[in-house]
Amino acid sequence: MRIGVDVGGTFTDIVAVEAGGRLHVAKTPSTPEDQSVGVVQGLGQLAEACGLSLQALLRVTTLFIHGTTVATNALIERKGARVGLITTAGFRDLLELREGTKADRYDLREPFPQPLIPRPLRVEVRERVRWDGKVEQPLDEADVQVAIAALRERAVDAVVVGFLNAHRNNAHERRVRAIIEAGAWQPYVSLSHEVLNREGEYDRFSTATVNAYVGPGLGRYLERLRSRLAEAGLGVPVMVMQSTGGALPIDQAVRHGVGAITSGPAGGSMAGALFARLTETPRLVTCDIGGTSTDICLIEGALPLERRQTEFRDIKVAIPALDITALGAGGGSIAKIDASGILELGPESAGAQPGPACYGRGGTLPTLSDANVVLGLISPETFLGGRMRLSRGLATQAIETHVAAPLGLSVEEAALAIMTLANTRIAEGIRACTVRRGFDPRDFGLLSFGGAGGAHADAVARELLIPKAIIPREASVLSALGFLSSDVRHDFACTIGRAIPALRPADLADAFATLEAQGRALLREEGFAEQDIRVTRLLDCRYHRQIFSVEVRAEEADLAAASLDWLGRKFEAAYEHLYHHVHRAVPGFVDTCRVAVFGRLPPLDLPRAARGDDDPAAAHRGTRRIYLGDWMEADVFWFDALRHGMVVRGPALIDSASTSVLVNPGSVGRIDAHGSLVIARESAA
Amino acid sequence: MSATARKGVHPLTLAVVRYKFLAVAEEVVETMIRTCFSPLLNQSRDFSAVVLDSDCRVIAQAERVPIHMGAMPFAMRAMQEAFAGDIAEGDILMANDPYWGGSHLPDITIATPVFFEGRIRLWVANRSHQGDIGGLSAGGYSPEAREIFHEGIRIPPTKLAERGRMREDVLRLVCQNTRKPDDMRGDIMAQVASVRVGAERLMALFERYGAEEVERCAEAILDGGEAAMRAQLSRWKSGRYTGVSYLDDDGCGHARVPITVHVELAGEEVTVDFRDCPDQVRSFMNSPFANTAACVNVAFMYLSDGQRALNDGSARCIRILTRKGSIVDSTPPAPVTGCTTLTGSVIIEAVLRAMEGAAPRAALAGFARRFRFVIAGTDRDGKPYIWHLFSNRGGAGGNAAEDGWSNLGVIHNPGGSPSPSIERTEAGFPLFVESHALRPDSGGAGRQRGGLGGTYVLRYEGAAEGVLNAAGEGVVVAPYGIGGGAPGIVHEYNIARGDRTIPIGTKDSGVRLLPGDRITCRSAGGGGCGDPRDRAPDLLRRDLDYGYVTPEAARRFYGHE
Repeated sequence: MRIGVDVGGTFTDIVAVEAGGRLHVAKTPSTPEDQSVGVVQGLGQLAEACGLSLQALLRVTTLFIHGTTVATNALIERKGARVGLITTAGFRDLLELREGTKADRYDLREPFPQPLIPRPLRVEVRERVRWDGKVEQPLDEADVQVAIAALRERAVDAVVVGFLNAHRNNAHERRVRAIIEAGAWQPYVSLSHEVLNREGEYDRFSTATVNAYVGPGLGRYLERLRSRLAEAGLGVPVMVMQSTGGALPIDQAVRHGVGAITSGPAGGSMAGALFARLTETPRLVTCDIGGTSTDICLIEGALPLERRQTEFRDIKVAIPALDITALGAGGGSIAKIDASGILELGPESAGAQPGPACYGRGGTLPTLSDANVVLGLISPETFLGGRMRLSRGLATQAIETHVAAPLGLSVEEAALAIMTLANTRIAEGIRACTVRRGFDPRDFGLLSFGGAGGAHADAVARELLIPKAIIPREASVLSALGFLSSDVRHDFACTIGRAIPALRPADLADAFATLEAQGRALLREEGFAEQDIRVTRLLDCRYHRQIFSVEVRAEEADLAAASLDWLGRKFEAAYEHLYHHVHRAVPGFVDTCRVAVFGRLPPLDLPRAARGDDDPAAAHRGTRRIYLGDWMEADVFWFDALRHGMVVRGPALIDSASTSVLVNPGSVGRIDAHGSLVIARESAA
Repeated sequence: MSATARKGVHPLTLAVVRYKFLAVAEEVVETMIRTCFSPLLNQSRDFSAVVLDSDCRVIAQAERVPIHMGAMPFAMRAMQEAFAGDIAEGDILMANDPYWGGSHLPDITIATPVFFEGRIRLWVANRSHQGDIGGLSAGGYSPEAREIFHEGIRIPPTKLAERGRMREDVLRLVCQNTRKPDDMRGDIMAQVASVRVGAERLMALFERYGAEEVERCAEAILDGGEAAMRAQLSRWKSGRYTGVSYLDDDGCGHARVPITVHVELAGEEVTVDFRDCPDQVRSFMNSPFANTAACVNVAFMYLSDGQRALNDGSARCIRILTRKGSIVDSTPPAPVTGCTTLTGSVIIEAVLRAMEGAAPRAALAGFARRFRFVIAGTDRDGKPYIWHLFSNRGGAGGNAAEDGWSNLGVIHNPGGSPSPSIERTEAGFPLFVESHALRPDSGGAGRQRGGLGGTYVLRYEGAAEGVLNAAGEGVVVAPYGIGGGAPGIVHEYNIARGDRTIPIGTKDSGVRLLPGDRITCRSAGGGGCGDPRDRAPDLLRRDLDYGYVTPEAARRFYGHE
């Protein structure tokens, strides 16, 4: 049995997959004060569903992957560790000087983003490494002793060591750690070059700071979880999901706390990769429409695309992560008439409390969910499997008061306007993601999940001329399922910092070999056999005077080649794909050499059902009146009762305990072998 | 009655089409990012895109460089007038001339009309700051320029493509007049590609909703922008206000040149009168009208609260009066390159200062002005380079609610692109950074303190002599305080050579650098807001603990013992 556990803000989702591929799911309320309580409760519920005791379930568990929001919450709520910085003399303020930027250039009355380490906890020591790694000034160890004493005195929990040019020569950073370790005081230590081994002092210092800020709290939480689960009978190590879509064993995960930030959405992307394989749709865009936001990620060649940095409310995290774009549009987004007298949706959200008006928890402002209730797209009776009864009356009232009356529209027209605006925003958000990467959305499939997604998937795909929208049957717990399709992953990097003509093939081969050896050793230590280890090699390249680099993938054959012609060629091709031109006369410049090693976990395979009758009558659950410009009767089907091969023609609604999917007039939905609903235009189907 | 109902557009269509316009403008910028050629443009992202209606009014903009926005309609109108009746589908128009609606010569505007059913319905335009435009010095900022002819090639409205066919001759003519013709060609072609993408997307809108409906949407969006600005103006206190801010100097010996503005706020309308401004000056510190108008627009956007309707509707209730031949409405052949980054800031300051009495909660104390320089020399491989100081921006001014941001700088483009890393500077150029730190006491004292500037110390390690060229402001005139707040401390840049200290002036060029020279840049802090003695004690204590304020300054300004 393999178990994936995704702790979200509201619910803890658990998926268990039996050896034969059979799936069990559980959903329990999250317990924010100590997430491990909710995890164990959910596991109990799951065990019951499997007809096992908790102990018996955990005894047969062979893999346990966990995604937690502990690190993310600590950063968002500014409730992380008390961190101190030891840095190069003259540079203690770099974290506060940021890079001189501000996201909104018109709102100049926003509060200043306070750095995670306040100034008195940023201590300087004399040392300096030059750009080429030569030592300009040796490390002053007396200064280091004073710095350590000062931070200890000020009771910090964690220490960041960040020196200039440590990506070129890390001896001073390592020496400081050795000095700390030799003493009696043992704080959590984060070295800038270990967290991120590349040029860019602000990126390194900021990322190492976030690591130290979230690491200790994450460590305490994971320790609690480990002991609870061990007590309950779990015999395998807990693996922790990372923002790269890989997993790390607990000890590694604690040392690399920054990697756990945004690991939840990464599960959705990994599920996207899984479905790209299962449905043979190598290019897929995942679209997770939740309560407050919509997460978008591109899958290419059945792998999620990555990015090298993330801005997290004015805090920069520069480690590689799956490239997930969050749009401020979700079921809870509030519709309003703005100062121009025009309908706008979001960015304000009703959140979970008070939530949309239809929740009946005191919310009076109209949201996207309220619009979908008014339009008949969400069934008030089956929402959340019937656990929460929605009020159509309250939804109608909110839309009438705040949108319909001011615009002179009927309530249903107003609701349709809100839904259509949401479709437009999500579609344009996806278009921007594809265009930015040099892709055309028409070459992609759409994978839609998230509770609020069903009403929009078909319309968004049609807007973008995306040929098919896929709604997996497991949509409600997809992130947890995605965890189970991940592998153990470690990332390594080193700086090259030379123009291509100045490099010999052996320079790159050696650099890669060194990183690869580190990775393989680590994986072997974790118990992976040689044949279960996979390696990817990347070079970050640019033109000399540019800031932004592009990724070039190096294959084993490339590294064996007698010249580096392949590198110039691949760099130009990658550059041209992105920027539509190349500078042929100018040689490329290699910044960084990166290696990711993967320890292969057994691949997840979902069971395939045999194809049956195409008549969906067995799943028919009556009709519902919906408004799409006119009121019409739409057939309603129950998702769980639809079988492989069944065909549903729009207008139709497919309800499940987690979502409600709209198949528009002119569209047709089919159930595929894995039980997913695949919607396409009637003419194309 | 809402704007939408008045125009008879369906509110659903309007909400969707407005969002589509914004998405198109964003896509034009994204295309530019992905196709622009020169490393400088690629990094600085000094470009903007707009969608305009057939009367050249901005209906949507991709929010990039604030100062570009309000200026573009003027360039577009000049283009439309120059080719009245002679604009065809597939034409690409180009212009940069400040005396044909432009701002300064490096900013080239490229535009294409969007035809549907035989008529121009919309325009898409992209303005990009080119790395070089010819003229006296590389990069275009020449304090020595005395005529616009010294500043580079002037491009009045010109057809770069006719009915879809590129005019190679025109392109060659323009590119050959710059120092980097290949970069120029690549960047102009990227601009062309980007507006074509925009036009294609807009065509799809016409096909879907019909041209008339889309045009009605554009009109409703402008009406909405106007309504929002009128509502905003009426929330402020009506009256007649005067604001004065000063240039350090005009670069040819005249110190403290005033920019004076009288703002007459009457209910929902406002008149911004610059007719008391002095005559145009001999140096590049003049502002053509389009740039002045853009500055006024930006100032009112900064003062507005919450969601801003960033379109030309808001300009309808703002009347701007200038005197031809003055420093804010210069006439040929006055040079103008400093208008966007130097004079522009001072124009914005003057308007903000005038509005302090009308909108005290929104008022902003002064921001550090721009003071940048370039170093030209040869790198470690013996190749020539030009290094730009993009770090150490100075502090922002405080306001009634918050302290100013440290290291944000310049009111005409606060924040801007990220500063390059110290490590990249050291790896690519023969420069060594000795320190970069907050500058204590630089932020003006106040109930809300001005943001701090920084101290950036750079050692010149070139094997041979180098040259430093500066273009800046703000070593004489300090970022102003408001409501009893103190001004920030001014910029102070110098070169230490042995035991000599050589000050760097804001308009110095051709300054020799010798190996081992140490360049110290102390950037200005922002102005404070409110009486410093009213500062919350815990904030003042924090300022002292953190060393943002020294004990001496705390005594002197805050009355702290």
